Formats: sequence, structure tokens, C-alpha cells
Amino acid sequence: MNPEVALPILIPLFSGALSLLFWRLRSMQRLVAVAGTAALLITSLWLLASVSRDGIQVMHMGNWPAPFGISLVADLLGAIMVVLTGIIGFAVALFSLATVGRGHEAFGYFPLMHLLLAGVAGAFLTGDIFNLYVWFEVMLVASFALLILGSEKAQMEGAIKYVALNLLSSVIFLSAVGLLYGLVGTLNMADIAQRLGQLEEGGLVDVLAMMFMVAFGIKAAAFPLFFWLPASYHTPPVAVSALFAGLLTKVGVYALYRVFTLIFNQSPDYTHEILLWGAGLTMLTGVLGAAAQFEFRRILSFHIVSQIGYMILGLALFTPLALVGGVFYIMHHIIVKTNLFLVSGFVHRLKGSYQLKKLGGLYKSHPWLAVLFLIPAFSLAGLPPLSGFFAKFVVIRAGLEAEAYGVTFVALLVGLLTLYSMVKIWAEAFWKAAPEDAEPAPEAPSQREQWLLYLPIVGLALCTLAIGLYGAPIYALAEASAAQLMDPGRYIEAVLGTEVTP
Amino acid sequence: MILPWIPLLALLGVVVPLLTRQRGRRFCSLATAAPAILALLLVFSQVPALLAGDLPRFQLAWVPQLGLDLAFRLDGLSLLFVSLILGIGLLILLYAHYYLEAHEPFARFYSFLMLFMLSMVGIVMADNLLLLWLFWELTSLSSFLLIGFWSHWTDARKGARMALTVTGAGGLALLAGLLLLGDMAGSFDLGVVLESREAILADPRYPLMLVLVLLGAFTKSAQFPFHFWLPHAMAAPTPVSAYLHSATMVKAGIFLMARLHPAIAGSEAWELIVTLTGMATLLYGAWFALLKTDLKAILAFSTVSHLGLITVLLGIGSPLAILAALFHILNHATFKAALFMSAGIIDHETGTRELGRLGGLRRAMPVTALLTSLTAAAMAGVPLFNGFLSKEMFFAEAAASPLLGGLSWLLPVLATLGGILSVAYSLRLVHAVFFKPARKAPPKSPHEPPRLMRAPVELLAALCVLVGLLPVIAEVPLGLAVEAVLLTPLEFHLAIWHGLNLPLLMSVIALIAGVLLYALHAHLRQFGRQFSPMDARLIFEGAVQRLMTWSERLTVRLENGSLQRYMSWLLGAALLLGAIGLLQLPSLAGARPTQEADGILLLGAALMIFGALGTVATHRYRLISLLMLSVVGLVVSLTFARFSAPDLALTQLSVEVVTMILLMLALFFLPQKTPRESSAGRNIRDLGLAASLGMVVASLNYAVLTRDNHGISDFFIANSVPGGGGHNVVNVILVDFRGFDTLGEITVLALAGLAIFKLLNRLRLFMPHSDGEGRVWSPDRYPLILTSVSQALLPLALLVSAFIFLRGHNLPGGGFIAGLITAVALILVYMARGVEWTQQRLDFQYQPVAIAGVAIATLTGLGSWLFGRPFLTSAFGHFHIPAIGDIELATAMLFDLGVYLAVVGATLMILANLGKLTTPHRPSKEEKH
Repeated sequence: MNPEVALPILIPLFSGALSLLFWRLRSMQRLVAVAGTAALLITSLWLLASVSRDGIQVMHMGNWPAPFGISLVADLLGAIMVVLTGIIGFAVALFSLATVGRGHEAFGYFPLMHLLLAGVAGAFLTGDIFNLYVWFEVMLVASFALLILGSEKAQMEGAIKYVALNLLSSVIFLSAVGLLYGLVGTLNMADIAQRLGQLEEGGLVDVLAMMFMVAFGIKAAAFPLFFWLPASYHTPPVAVSALFAGLLTKVGVYALYRVFTLIFNQSPDYTHEILLWGAGLTMLTGVLGAAAQFEFRRILSFHIVSQIGYMILGLALFTPLALVGGVFYIMHHIIVKTNLFLVSGFVHRLKGSYQLKKLGGLYKSHPWLAVLFLIPAFSLAGLPPLSGFFAKFVVIRAGLEAEAYGVTFVALLVGLLTLYSMVKIWAEAFWKAAPEDAEPAPEAPSQREQWLLYLPIVGLALCTLAIGLYGAPIYALAEASAAQLMDPGRYIEAVLGTEVTP
Repeated sequence: MILPWIPLLALLGVVVPLLTRQRGRRFCSLATAAPAILALLLVFSQVPALLAGDLPRFQLAWVPQLGLDLAFRLDGLSLLFVSLILGIGLLILLYAHYYLEAHEPFARFYSFLMLFMLSMVGIVMADNLLLLWLFWELTSLSSFLLIGFWSHWTDARKGARMALTVTGAGGLALLAGLLLLGDMAGSFDLGVVLESREAILADPRYPLMLVLVLLGAFTKSAQFPFHFWLPHAMAAPTPVSAYLHSATMVKAGIFLMARLHPAIAGSEAWELIVTLTGMATLLYGAWFALLKTDLKAILAFSTVSHLGLITVLLGIGSPLAILAALFHILNHATFKAALFMSAGIIDHETGTRELGRLGGLRRAMPVTALLTSLTAAAMAGVPLFNGFLSKEMFFAEAAASPLLGGLSWLLPVLATLGGILSVAYSLRLVHAVFFKPARKAPPKSPHEPPRLMRAPVELLAALCVLVGLLPVIAEVPLGLAVEAVLLTPLEFHLAIWHGLNLPLLMSVIALIAGVLLYALHAHLRQFGRQFSPMDARLIFEGAVQRLMTWSERLTVRLENGSLQRYMSWLLGAALLLGAIGLLQLPSLAGARPTQEADGILLLGAALMIFGALGTVATHRYRLISLLMLSVVGLVVSLTFARFSAPDLALTQLSVEVVTMILLMLALFFLPQKTPRESSAGRNIRDLGLAASLGMVVASLNYAVLTRDNHGISDFFIANSVPGGGGHNVVNVILVDFRGFDTLGEITVLALAGLAIFKLLNRLRLFMPHSDGEGRVWSPDRYPLILTSVSQALLPLALLVSAFIFLRGHNLPGGGFIAGLITAVALILVYMARGVEWTQQRLDFQYQPVAIAGVAIATLTGLGSWLFGRPFLTSAFGHFHIPAIGDIELATAMLFDLGVYLAVVGATLMILANLGKLTTPHRPSKEEKH
């Protein structure tokens, strides 16, 4: 018995149901939000500990042996992703206590947050391709409901684009799963990988790989499939933006990593070459999009896109070092990007706006907030000794070693433009004096709320610093996880070969 | 180990001012200086070891997998630089203590200054290429904060951004270069790299690496054409300019070239690029130093020029050239820092830095005048000052260099030209500020600064003279530094007099011509004015602006807000990638033979095609379109039945009914006809896209279906009864084999219900009273027949759904279908009687029903943990119940109950909320007014 494999899914599911039952009890909902996400974080660490100690953990749902039932599989990448889900969930839950107003809470913010986390954790842990689809749907519906929280016009417009484009992704994904099932007659990913290895239908498999690439590429917001993201991420309450920014696209990236290391690894010259182009264009279009923006959250949203490019680059180069870089990048990015959104939310509470034009003077009035912005911002731009430095560094080194000079140049250039973008925010919101005609924020946070706002921001900033300063163990973790990805045999053996738990 | 303490003390210096801020500026300044003084003493304590030929090193693994170690060394080169950094840093601190205004956040300033000191110390002491780069970036960052210290001032913000962007770009190039370098040498350890010269020079990637590394060095050291950020960085407070932009940071690039000299220098490419860049910088900087009128701008351009001079020497690369380069680094740091501080004093005491408003200050500030004259003389290279010595060595090396072959005479000529300009601008600086009468009075009436504010300048000026008179004292540190660069000791002797030779002649020419040039410089400025003034910042910002506009245009093109556009991008990508793949298939059809198509199949296919086309064709008439769509759904359901999947057929049928009803409810609020929105061209585009995508998917389907697979389905059929306790394989799959999927799906359903509840909750809709043609809706809202039929049907339908539910495990049916049937029955009642009537009688919330469903399913799964089994393990058994008889009960049925409840709850939640929109229960539009 290894309940820690299923608990990261079941705890948020249960917390979600619980807070739905206490629909009217605000205090109870808030309590469940903190306790539930804390429990998620703890079990996820438990899971990571057992995966790093005992290797890949598998749980066969319903005690049906693989490939007949659904298996939950936690390899290092999955476990790492779940830990990140826990961290972000907990941080955002804390932040929500002070930012999500009574009105939004009444419309089920907290239960939706839990269910979203359940979907995310499910996607990271499942070893079954159709089950992955199911968790994608849970995520999609939950995130849609979160997006329309408040039902403002801008939100509706963003949410409709969000849901329409993501449903398209679901359709493509589902068709691809169906076709794949038609080809190999199984849904368990380890089994698919094994059977595809024996199949002599390379060309057909490549076409299916492309369908998965498009479906997951939409989820991951890669070029030219990212449009839903900048259309919607800046519209909902900031805690929701932060949650999305940290986790949602990364599920798509995770799925790409899973599928293109485990299943579609037969013709990397073809599939991964396309990924490489996608990575380069994603980095570039994202960062150029950000350069044209003057709204705090829109800038950050476009940077998500460009950073996704780096992660895909790690996968596309498909060398051990590149995968280390990719995994490292994902870890770093989730923490940093969520934190930046949280900071933007804090700024919004203080100044009542996300428009850079209307901001200013925070360097003087809130120097610590300024420092707390600089840490994730410079980390995002890849400055040492913060987490982003190592992430970017490894990816670039992998690019140079693979002699992919073109895309490495793009990666470096995008790093520079990212820096420029962050400096733009810094100069406008922090350095510049507040504009004369600035209106006071409608609801400046109370002292107690400030603490609640600072707490997650400080926590995540410390994570960023720790990943940078205490890099060796994190790197070792990423390295071990990349080694597992490069050797899908271990995954297949763990799922299909081991004895079914009695 | 002493070495790590040097950077650690500097790090301490970053924190100390923030902690001691409360105790007053004097205490804070002293407390900040203490760690730096200690660090300097520690550095000096290592000198005996160095003289004995040791190389103090320290190493601590950081991220060993990447080759990144916390490794420090203190060789001669490091010693020279680290003493410079700490020593001048301390002087700057003293100076800043007086320079900053009372209200300014001095602690923050000190902290940034110390952060910068830390990063510089790190650069020059790093024994690992990656560590070096790390500190390199830290200098960019700390200088960014320092330049922008007066952040309320636009120039400061812009200057800071520009400096960061340019040095940041160089930093990234350098990173790539160092990565390549480390790869060539096989290690990032400096010791290894410095000894791998052959391997590096022979590597085919050498030119690329060289260019990248030099890009880093040139941007940092403000070499032409990357020099433009430096004059604008002068928006910083003067202590910063004196420290960063004359003595230390801009020397980092020079340091890097010296540091890597043993490993990468000596190739023809190096000599050409470095020497020529240096020469261009030397002349360009000197020329503009002569034209500028802002005191700090003059000094900035002269710094650019001197950096060029050092670069030329490093490019020439002979042992004596290296010596001259290092010597000039030392000399330049002393006289230029002093000059900057003098400029700061003048600015501080007079309130202006414009030459036009200064003049005749020798009366008000005699000591400052003297100090400035001395240091300016050193800058000009006047004999008996330190600058003279290194400049003469420069002339000698320029004359001796064989570079450029037959044109090698060009080098000494250009060097002399640089010397002439340098004399001229130095002279101008002193003359215009102190001697020439002022044209306009300065804003403040000038007087001497506080005694201690001048002290650093006095000390540096004394050093200039001392070294100029007694060059011997510089021999020891220079000897150590040269040895570190050349890797072998060099015999040399510094002397003032070398006899009558070519360099001396060049010096003399420079001095005389320089004075003449200054005398003529009014004409020169006239000449200079003919060129339109080139403000680097405007150009830079213009470039940035262009990039912005360009990216904005691109973004608007890509992301124009149109969902149709996004959809077509997505579908286009899918089409392209799919089609490319299909093109490469050798043949579409697989080995499995196709079934004979009979009439019924063909009819079904034709119906489906008709339905699909009809949906599209009638899309402007929503109701008809919807009916067409339902044709497709029904034929799908028939297809399932035809291929022996009664469960699926039943499910599809009920789903079809429920969705149709819900859609119709939604359609009620929409106009019945939509206007024609798309142009013909767009229609054709969309048609093409849809058709080709359909063809790709159909081809894929065909390809897959004509291939055999040996799937896992046999297992399900074999294990359904013995393992799952049910004869209906589909249901056993749903609730047992793949129950986890079902759990997820009912969660989705419950979520969808919630989402719609939220979506509709605040919606205020216009309620139409008539249909599209203007016919009023029938006043008979609840027709009698429907009412009575539905009422009679309800118990029957509930009975049927109970039956379907119970038999589900063995025969077609199950919780999902049963739930849908119940929902349909209730929907009928709603429609027949209206929301109000029904809700009075069915007085409960649907939301808890749906949640209870999900909770029951989850808890059923968790139950198996109590027995030590994995989640969702089912159990079943046969029980004998009196009066009913033998009955089989399975935990899967409990799970199925959860499914049933979730389906009923979610469906009715959606319906009730849609229905509620039509009732006066909700505050409607009219009521609000």
C-alpha cells in the first residue's frame, strides 16, 4: 500500500466536496482552504520522498493489474510536479484569504480552487492516457468557472475564448487518444510505449504524435496555439491568475514531456525538430508580445508564453542535459511566475490598478515589496544567483552542446528582452514617482491582511533564493528525473513489470 | 582559510548599513567601512605568500554537476585589482559620507555600494569561469540600482535601464562564450582553462567563442561601439561614477581580457579585433571628451578613451604591453577616481557641472584647484606623474608592434594623436574650471568642501605624484600581476628616464600639439557642431521604441482579439502538422480487410452527412440548425446499436435528449435568426479549412481502422464476471475497471453544474415575448395535456430509471443512464408545470445532490483502503435476503449510486438555473428599474 500516490488527488477532491457542503459557512471554507492545501503539500512531499527513496511508485486503481485498470504512476517528474502543485496551492490559498472578496467566496472560489488542484494533481499522477484526458477536463471546467468569477464583461470575453480554444484542444486530444487506442488497443501509457516499440507503423505513429503535440501545445500555450492565454489571464481575481500562471500551462508542458519521452520517442529527428521550431518561435513571440504591453498582468502573461518556449526547448533538444534544464526550468518557473502574479496583486491592492502608467512610488513607500518584486523578476530574467539563472544556464549550455546555435541565440536574446521587460515594470511601478492624479486604492489592505499578503510572497521568494543558493540538491533531483525520462524502460517496467499490490 | 573571508566580509558590508541605519550616519558609515578595511588587511596578509611563489586558492563545491564551484584565488592579478577595489571603495565611502544629502537614504546607498564591491571582488578573485560570470552579472545588477539611485529623476532611470540592457546583453554573450570556452578546455576551473591554450586555439569554435567573450568584455568596458551607455550612466551620484565608471566596473572587461589572456589571446583574430577596437575607442572617446561641456561627461568620455588605450595594449599582447596595460589600469584608477571626486566636489559646492557656468574657481577653491590640476596632469601624461610613465610605455609598444604589417606605422601615429587629444582635454578641464573667468555665475557661491571630503582626493593625488616620482614602488605589485597574466615572471624596471628615444619624442609631440590644440579648440567645437548632435540615448531609445512598435504590430496581427482568427490558427497548425505526417505515409490502408457496406450503413452515413451539412447550412436559423444537429446525434446512437453497443446507444440517446432540451432553453434567450456575419471570402477560407481538416481526420481514421490491433479488450470480457461481478462489461468497465475515470467525469459534471450556476447567477437577460417573425408566444404557458401526461409519467420514469440502475451491472443500463432518465423525467415536469410549481414541491437544492454523488463515489473508493487494498478496489458477494431471494450486491453499485446522484444533481442544477432565468423569482430587468 502506498496511499501517498493517490492522496494528492483525493485530498483536494475531498476538500472541494467539503467546502461545497459548507457553502454558506465562510470561516469553514477558509479553514478548509488552508488545511486542505497544507495537507496536499505535506502528502506531496511524502510522495517525493518515497519516489526518490524507492523509485517509481505505482498504484493500480481498483486493484486491476496494468494495463487493464487505471494506474497512477509517480516517477520523479510527476512527484516534483505534485510538490510544486502543493506549494503553489498553499501559497495561493493563503493569498486568497486576503484578496478574494466575500462576493467571490460566496460563488465558490475555494471549492473550485480545490477541484482545480485535484485536476492538476491527477494529470501529473495518472499513467493512463484517457485518464489524463479526464483530469484535463476537470481542470478545464474548474478553471473556466474560476475565470468567470465575478462575471464582469472583460472576464466573460476572455473566458469564452479560453473555453472555446481549450475545448478545441480537448477535441483534438480525445480524437488522438481514440486513434491511438485504435492502433495499439490499450490506454495505459507504459503499455502504449511498449506496444508502439513493436509496431512497424512509424509514419502513422508520427501523425498521431503531431495530434498530441497540437493538443498539448494548446494547453501549454506554445506558438501558434497560445492565444487563449493572453486573452484571459489578466481578467480574473489575481489569486486565480496566480494559480493559473503557475500551474495550468505547465500541465500541458508536463504532458508534452511525458508523451514525447515515453511514447513518441521513435523518431526524434522529426517530432523533436518540430518541437524545436515551436520552442524558438514561442520564446520569441511571447517576449515580443510582452514588450508591447503596459499592463502588469498582461506583461507577465506574455512572459509565460515565452518561458514555455524554454521548457519546450529542453524537451526538443532531447539530450540528458537538456531535459535536466527543462525540468529545472519548470520547477523554477512555477514558483517565480506565481510569485510575480502575487506581487502584482499586492501592488493592485495598494494602488488600485494594474496599468503601469497609474503606478509608481512603491520603491519609496514599500521598499520591502520592491525587493520582493526584484527577486522573482530578476530570477525570471535569469540573473544569478537566483533560480532562473541555473534554469536558463542549463538550457543554454545544452543548446550549445547540441550545436543548436540558432535557437540558443534566440534563448539568449529572449533572456535579454525579459530582463528589459522586468526592468520596465520596475522603473514604472517602483522607481517612478506616483503620478499626481493617482486615485487612492479603493480598499487598501489592513495590517493583518498585509501579513497574509506578504507571507506567501516571502515564502516563494525564499524558494527562489534557496533553489539558487542551494542548487546542488535541486539540480541532482532534476538530473535524476531527467535520467528517468531518458530511460522510459524503467517507467514501463515499474508499471507493467512489478507485482500488483495485494 | 582566509580567502573566502574577503568576499564574505564584503557581503557583511551589504547587510551592516541596513542594520545600523538607525544609529546615525556617522556610525553607519564607520560600521560599513569596518568589514572592507578588514578585508583589505586580509588581502595584504596574503602578500608574503604570493611573494614566496604560492598561489592561495580556495574551493567549495556549489553545483558540482555543472562545474560551478565556489572557488577563489588570489594571484598577482587578483591582488592588484582587489586592492584597487577595496582601497578606492573605502575612499569612496568616506567621500559619499559627505556627498549625500541629509534626507537621502544613505544606508540603502551604502548597501548597494557594498553589493557592488562584493561583486567586483568576486569577479577578480573567482577561480571558476561560471562563478566569475555570476559576479559579473551581479555588477550589472548592483550598478543598475546605483545608477538609478535618484530614481525620481527620469535621466537616472533611463541611464540605468540602458546600462543594464547593454551590459546585460554583453553578459549573455559572455555566458555563451564562457560555456564554449569551458567546453573546449574541458573544465570551468580557471587553473585548467589557463593551461589549455593549445586545445582552445585549435578548436573550430574558437572564433565564435572569442567574439562572444570579447562582446562581453567590450560592452562592460565601454569599448566602441558599445561605449554609449557610459556617459549616460553619469546620471548616477558622483561617488558611483567615481567608483564604478572610472576605477572598477568598467575595468572588469579589461580584467577579463587580462585574466583569459593566457588561454585565448595571441591569435591573429585576437590581435586585430582587440587592438583595433581599442584604438577606435581611444580616439573616439578622446575626441568627444574635448567637445563635451559637462564636467562629468568630459570625464566619462576620457574614461572611454583610456579604456581604449588599455585595450590596445592588451591586444598587442607582448609582455611589456601587458605590463603597460596593468600599470595604466592602476594609474588610471587613481587619477580618474580623484578627478571624478573633484568634479563631484565642484558640483556639490557650486551646484553645476556645466563648463559654461564654471570658471575662475581657483580663488574660491584653491586646494581643489591644485588637486585637480595635479590629477589632470597625470591624465594628460605630463612627466613626473604616473600617467606619463604608462603612457610612454604605451607609445613604445605601439611603435614596436608589428601589427597591420606594412601599415604598422599607423599604430604609433594614432597613439600620438590620442595623446594629443588627451593633453588637450585635460588642459581644457583645468583651465576652464579654475582659471578662465566665468561667463555666468554658478547657482551656489563656491567654497572649499569639508576637510574630510577632500581627503580621498588628496590621497589619490599624492599617489599620482609619488608613483610618478618613484615608480619603483609599483614594481612589486605589477610584477606579481604580470606574472599572473604571462604565467612566467618578467624582468623589468620602471624608470622615469629612458634616454632620448621615439616614445619620448611622441610624448613631447603630444604635449606641445595638445596645448596648441586646446588653443584652437574653439574652432574644433565649431567644426564639431556641424554634425548633428548624436545623443546615444535617443538612438538607443529610438531603437527600443522601434522594437516596441514592431512587436506591437506583430502582436496585434497575431493577437487581434478575434476568436475566429485564433481558431483558424489552431486548426491550421493541426492541419499542417497532420497533413505533413500523412504525406509521408507509404500507404493509407492497412492489412485488415474492410467490411462490406450494406444499404443501412450507407443510409446512416448519408443521414449523418446530411445532418452535419444541414447544421452548417442553416446555422443562421438556430432552431433548425439545432434539429439538424440532433439528427447527427441520433444517427450516432443508432450506429452504436448497429455495432452491438446497446449501452452506448442508450447513453447517447439520453444525452442527446438532455442536451437538446438544455440548448433549446438557452436558445430562448437568443435571437432566432442571426445576421450574416462572414464575408464570402472568409466563408471559403473556413470551408476549406474545415474540409481539409475533416479529410485529414477521416484519412487517419481509415488508416487506423484498417490495421489490426491486439488490444486489451479480451481481458475485460474474460474478467467481467469473475473479477467485477457483473455481466454487463460496459458497466463493469465504467464502475470498476475504469472507475477512476468515472470519478473524474462525475467531478467534471458537478463542476459544470457549478460553473453554469455561477455564470447565470448574475445574468440579466432580455426575455423575448415573441418569436423571430413577431408572433407572440402562446399565452398558454403550461398546456394541460403535457401537464397531466408528465405527472403520470413521472413515477413511471422514476421506476424505469430505478430498474435500469439496478440491472445495470448485468444488463444494459447503469447509474449514468438511470441518472439521465430521471433527469429527463424531472425536466418534463419542469417544462409542464413551470419552475415555481415544481420547486414548491421538490423543495431541495440540487447542488448538494451532485456533491453527495461525488462524495459517495470517493468514499466508496476510499473504503477499500480500510481493507488494505488500492483505491476503488471493488468487492461483491451473493446474499440471501428473506422474501426477495438470492441477490448479488457489489460495492460497485454504491459507486454507481454516486454516479447516478451526480448526474441527476448536475443536470437539474443546470436546468433549474436556466429555467430560473425565466421566472419572476429572479430580479429581472424590469424590476430593477
